[in-house]
Parts: sequence; C-alpha cells; structure tokens
Amino acid sequence: MLAYYFRIALKSLRRNPMLTALMIGAIAVGVGVCITTLTVYRLMSGNPMEARNDVLYSVTLDSWDPNKPWTDDHPELPPPELTYRDAQALYASDIPDRKVMMRKAAFVIEAPPKSGVAPFLVEGRTTTKDFFGMFNVPFKYGGGWDQAADDASQQVVVLTKKTNDKAFGGADSVGQTVRLDGHDYKVVGVLDEWAPTPKFYDLNNGAFDEIEELFVPFGIGEQYEMQSAGNTNCWRDQQIDNFQDFLNSDCVWIQFWVELKGSQKVAAFQEFIDNFVREQKALGRYERPLNNHLRHPDEWLKVNEAVQDDNRVLVGLSFTFLAVCLLNMIGLLLAKFLGAAPLVGLRRALGASKSAIFGQHLVEVGVIGLGGGLLGILLAALGLWGVRNLYENYDELTRLDIPMLLTAIGIAVLSGLLAGFYPTWRVCRVQPAAYLKTQ
Amino acid sequence: MEFRPILSAMLRNKTGAILVGLQIALTLAVVANAVFIIMQRVEKIGRPPGIDSDNLFFVQSYGFGPNYDQRDTIRRDLDLIRALPGVVSASSINGIPLSGGGSATNLGPTTQREKQTVNTNYYTVDERGMESLGLKLVEGRNFTQTEIEFNPDPAGGQFGNFAIITRDTARAIFGDEHAVGKRVYQGADDSAVVIGVMENMLGAWVGWDKLTQVMLIPRIQAGPLARYVVRTEPGRRDALMAEVEQKLSGSNPNRAISYVRSHTQIKERSYRADSRMVAFLSVLIALMISVTALGIVGLASFLVSVRRKQIGTRRAVGARRADIIRYFMLENWLLTTGGVLAGTILAFAFGQWLSSAYSLPRLPPLYVVAGVVVLWILGQLAAFLPARRAAAIPPAIATRTV
Repeated sequence: MLAYYFRIALKSLRRNPMLTALMIGAIAVGVGVCITTLTVYRLMSGNPMEARNDVLYSVTLDSWDPNKPWTDDHPELPPPELTYRDAQALYASDIPDRKVMMRKAAFVIEAPPKSGVAPFLVEGRTTTKDFFGMFNVPFKYGGGWDQAADDASQQVVVLTKKTNDKAFGGADSVGQTVRLDGHDYKVVGVLDEWAPTPKFYDLNNGAFDEIEELFVPFGIGEQYEMQSAGNTNCWRDQQIDNFQDFLNSDCVWIQFWVELKGSQKVAAFQEFIDNFVREQKALGRYERPLNNHLRHPDEWLKVNEAVQDDNRVLVGLSFTFLAVCLLNMIGLLLAKFLGAAPLVGLRRALGASKSAIFGQHLVEVGVIGLGGGLLGILLAALGLWGVRNLYENYDELTRLDIPMLLTAIGIAVLSGLLAGFYPTWRVCRVQPAAYLKTQ
Repeated sequence: MEFRPILSAMLRNKTGAILVGLQIALTLAVVANAVFIIMQRVEKIGRPPGIDSDNLFFVQSYGFGPNYDQRDTIRRDLDLIRALPGVVSASSINGIPLSGGGSATNLGPTTQREKQTVNTNYYTVDERGMESLGLKLVEGRNFTQTEIEFNPDPAGGQFGNFAIITRDTARAIFGDEHAVGKRVYQGADDSAVVIGVMENMLGAWVGWDKLTQVMLIPRIQAGPLARYVVRTEPGRRDALMAEVEQKLSGSNPNRAISYVRSHTQIKERSYRADSRMVAFLSVLIALMISVTALGIVGLASFLVSVRRKQIGTRRAVGARRADIIRYFMLENWLLTTGGVLAGTILAFAFGQWLSSAYSLPRLPPLYVVAGVVVLWILGQLAAFLPARRAAAIPPAIATRTV
C-alpha cells in the first residue's frame, strides 16, 4: 500500500518538475540555513564539562573597588579572577575534594640542539596537580604530577600533543628533558587532543582560544618571577616596585576552581570563603558588600556571556527564514494539489476513500520533506564550509555530527509534514460531483 | 481599473493571498533589521583607526636565558630595524592597537579618586612612537629622547611624567578646557603632564565603547617581553616582515622572535566576529528575498493558470493585453501592500525585541521605509512574468470547454 502511494507520489512529483524543484529547494535552503547557524550556536554554547557539571565550581570573591563595580553592565558580578594571596589562602582549605589555582605564563622552548628547531615561544599555564583529574583531561603518554611536585615547585612539565609533536616529533617523551626559559624540565605527561569549547576554565583570556601549550606546577611562576601572560586587572592605588609587591597586591589574575561532592561540602566551603572575606574586611580589605560565588560550569558560562549575542540573533533569524520557506511551500503545495483537484475528484468518484487520498498526498509531502532535508544537509555542509573559512582553527568543531544530521532530517520532515498538512486536508474536501459535472 | 473586483477575487482565494502576504511581512521584518545590523557592523569595521594601519607590522621578542638584557636588546633591535631600507620608523610599544589585548587605567583631572573615572587605554612608546604609528598631533609637542624612561618592573602600573592623549580623552577628562599643560592623575601619587593632544587613535578592544580614549606614555617596559611597531613605505611591508624576522632571530640567541604580523591581519582578526555577522546576514537576506520572490511568482502563476478561461472571456469581450497585465500587477500591488503593512508592525516589534534583549540600538524607521519600497518593486517584478503570460492567453480560449 505504502509502496503504491510512494509510486504515485513520485509520479505526481515528476509531472511538474519545476514546482517540485521549487518546493524541495525551499525546504532545503530553510533547513540548510537553520542547521548551519544551529551548529555554530551549539558549538559556541556547549558546556564542555557537562559530565562533571554537578561537582565542579568556579570560585569568585568580590575584592574589587568600593567606588565602582567590576563591570558597569552587571554591577552584581564580582571579578572573574582572584588575587594571588587570596587564592593561596583558599587553596589552604581542605574542605574541597579537589581544587586548582592557575594562571597563564609565556615560555620559550629550546628543543635539543641536534633537532635543529629554533627556540620558540609558547603560551603555558602554571597550575596545581588536580587540574588534569578535575577536568577529565585526556593523556596520550604519562600523566600529571603529584603533591610533592606542587609543594617543591619541581621542574616537571605536561606537554600538549601539539607541543610534543613540534619538540619531540610526536614520540613518547615521558622522562625526557625539555628546556624552558633556560631551565631543564622533566616531561611527565603528554596530552591527547583536548579542545574544551568554550575554554570554560579561563573565560577571561579568550573564551574560544585553544588550550595552553604546556603545563607546569603553579609554584614555578613565583620561583622564576614570571609575569602573567593573561589579563591582569588592578584597581587599588598601590606602590608596586617588585614582583613580591605584585603578588601581594589587590590585582586579580588567578583562576580558581574546586570540586565539592555533596551539598554539605558546598555549604561548608561557601561558609569558609565568606568567613575568609569577613576576616579580610576586618583588616581593611574587601570594602564591597559580601558577594562570593561558587558557580557550576554551566552557570559560569552563562554569567560570563560566553555565547555571543550574535549567534542567538542568527538562530532566531534563521528560523524566521525557515518559516518563510514553509509558507512558500504551503502556497506552492496548495496550488499544486488544488490544480490536480479534478483528478482527485475522479478518483474519489471511482471509490477512493478520503483517508486514502489523505495518505497518498501525505506521502507525497513526506517525500518532498525528505528530499529537502537531504539537500538541506548538503547545503548546511556547504554553509559550514563557508563558516570554516570565516573562522580560524575551527575545523574540528564546525563539522556535522550524527545528532546534527538527525536534527536536520527531523526539522526537514517535520516542517514538510507541517507545511503539507493544510493543503492535504484541503484537497481531501474536494467534492467529486463538482468536478465530474464539468468533465 | 477598479479595486473592488480584484479584492473580491483575492478574497475568494484567501489562503494563497494570506500565505504570500505573510511571507512578505516576515521578509520585511527580517530584512529591515538585518540590514540595520549590517550597517552598524560595516560602520564599526570602517572606523578610522588613527594609525597608518596598512603600512604597519608588529614584532614580538621574548627573552630567556641568563644573559638576556632587555634594554640592550631593544636598543640594538631598533637600531637594526631602523637602518633597513624601506623602514619609515620603528618604536618599542607595550601592546598592539585593535588586537584585543592591552592595558588600561582610570584617569582624572585631580588627585581625588572618585573623579578618576575616565577609562583610558595606554601604550608605552619611545620618541619615535608617534611617527611609527602614523599618528597626527593636533596640539602641543611630541616626546623627546630624554623623556623616555626605562621601567624596571614589569608588573608596575606607574607611569612617567609626560603623556600624549587623544582628543576624546582630553574632552572626557577636561571637558572644553585646554588639556596641554594640565596633569592627569591615576591615584594620588601617580600623575603626568599632558604635553600633546593627538587627533584620533583607537585602543585595544574593538567592542569597547571607550575605544577612542587612548594615552601614550614615554617609557620602555621591562622584560622579558618586548614589542616593536614598524612602519614601512607603501608596498614594502610584507618583504620587510620576513627580513626583520630573519635578521632579529639571527642577531641574539637569548630570545625568541614570534608573532610577526601585519596590522591588517591583526585588525581583520579582531573584527572577524563582525565581518562574519555581515557575511551571514547578507546571505540570509539574499536567500530570503529570492524565496519570497519565487513565492510571489508561484502564486501569480497559479492564479493565471486557474483563470485562463476567465482571462480569455475578458479578452473576447474587449479587454486589451495591457488591461490583463495591469490587472495582475495591481492585484500583486494590493497583496504586497497588505504584506508590508503587517510587516511594518512586525519589523518594529522585532527591532524592539532585539534592542531590549541584546541592547542594540532601536531600528530607525528609514530602514523599514526602504524595505517597503524594495518589496513593492520586487513584487511588481516577480508578478510581471506571469502577468505577461496571462496577457498572451488568446481570446479564443473562451469558446473552448476545458
């Protein structure tokens, strides 16, 4: 039965190729545009820490200027980063299951002289040992470092895959030595591909940048008096004459995250940071009202407005466009179905039931929807190819995956049926007598 | 020609008319707002940067190793760069305008902290900084070589004794008063005398509304990071970029040269989100207009095909071809007008939503008016082909039964 409906649907579509092409084309561009913008939007709005969202928290304290909030647009928000000494104080707490403090720093890598690779500058991150475990960072070789390495600021390093490819030709370099800023570091681990998008753990320094190219223990930064390679924001009028003055200053530049399992721990840690700030208030710091936050990654991405408004506007406009395409298709279908009304009248007179007519037309509409969907996917692939030319480094990410392909077909067939429903219903109401009379 | 018969004919085929009318309405709403967004972005990208963007490139040097000497490195590097043929000027600088990264501070006209609220981008340059960036001085004077000081502390936020500020900064701090000779304060202990005012310069962050508030300070920052701005003769930039990178890399083993980029490249990257939006929206507008035009053609063709007999009859009783064409054109005009009326309301509603949800400026009525005119013309063009086909229907058709 269905096969028969399918056959007459194809026959009917072939009868009027121009109109069929128009309808399929309309659905296809509508779907293509929507899938393109949706893919970009999903990429930009994804939460790379979805799996650990319920136990991870970013930590922020409002240490900012009493005369002026951190940002005028959102006066309720504290700065996204901590001061060095506050980070140290929070890190001393043993309430969190895991915790990490970190910041960016630049390093020059000298490859072994025999390799012939000239020294090159990379962006690095000084961090504490839990970084890798807390954020599920994948390793290709080796692993992170231990507490002892943090405590003694041992010269150990974790390389990204990219850096390892460049300095060691992709070989397992664990145990080897790499020279950074004129000092020898032992490689303890090499990461596998890892591209959290947005880069949730440090949104303040390029939310869509790639991850840093190497990782060393946090204490290294202090030991070698390394400047921050990320944004540093200061407000207090303080004399800063040397690196130690800088570390003691009220400038914010350290990112801080904790892992807390269970609401009791969350409450306890919130209590701990609030008490810490109250103590500091007594010492004349923290002149703003108490405003300390523990935020899950999804909330963190939201308050930092990681998703650009542009992408949201584009998705809205794309779906409006799809609506126009569908209206267009309804109009064309209506014209086509009603144009063939005499035929329907004849078939009804010969005994076809209303439901059979309905089914036949619905199958025809479904075929158009499916065709439009498939063509729409091709157009979306073309659109994303265009997007890749507009973006840089997004090759991996702006690709159609299975969920997106299914969404595309879903949108196409659904909108095809939606658009086809009314014309189909109209054609079913054809009175056979009206057409038979004139024949 | 009377409207009444056309209207009553349209009412008989309400659905088709409503569908096309809705398409036109939505198209107007989207196109008016999208064009408005595009114009804002184009204007943003086209702002004059104040510097000689096309002939500039930047170089970054990062010192490492025990023998690295920042001051000496910068002096030697600049001597080397300035001696190259084709180089107009070069200076050290702490950041790159329009790059998305930079330093800012709050300035004010007095020592009172509450008054120091003029957020200002600052760049540290030497006495050739103005020339190297291609900036235009409108008042006062440039820095002299003796005024350039070396700041031994990389993290230090203090600035030296002199400053050159943009006209917008001067206006924000001092209002209509003359800025040259006055002091700007950053905190109680930190101040500088304004010795010059430059016409215009854009700071670091393209999305920042205070982008035109910029200050130059005569200073060389401590290491290990050093940056240079190099201005070349027109057409020599790309060749010199390669030459400078190669010569600097070979001149000193205690540092790594990186990030040799033309300012055009840097600027393009910073405005990428905006140019992307422009590209996206342009494609969307083009597609939307095409789909709507095809919709109009489709409906008109359908109407022609079902009215063949009626048209033939009209022709047989004396209507000229032009009358038939006029009938369809007028019908289309009525349809489009209905659509754009609804579309005008939709466009403003849409604009209202955009401006409240995404803090964009309000949609100016001019865009809607322009959209209405474009859609009127589009509708007439789209209807013309089917109308001409209708006019070609021979009167004899009235005599046939089917």
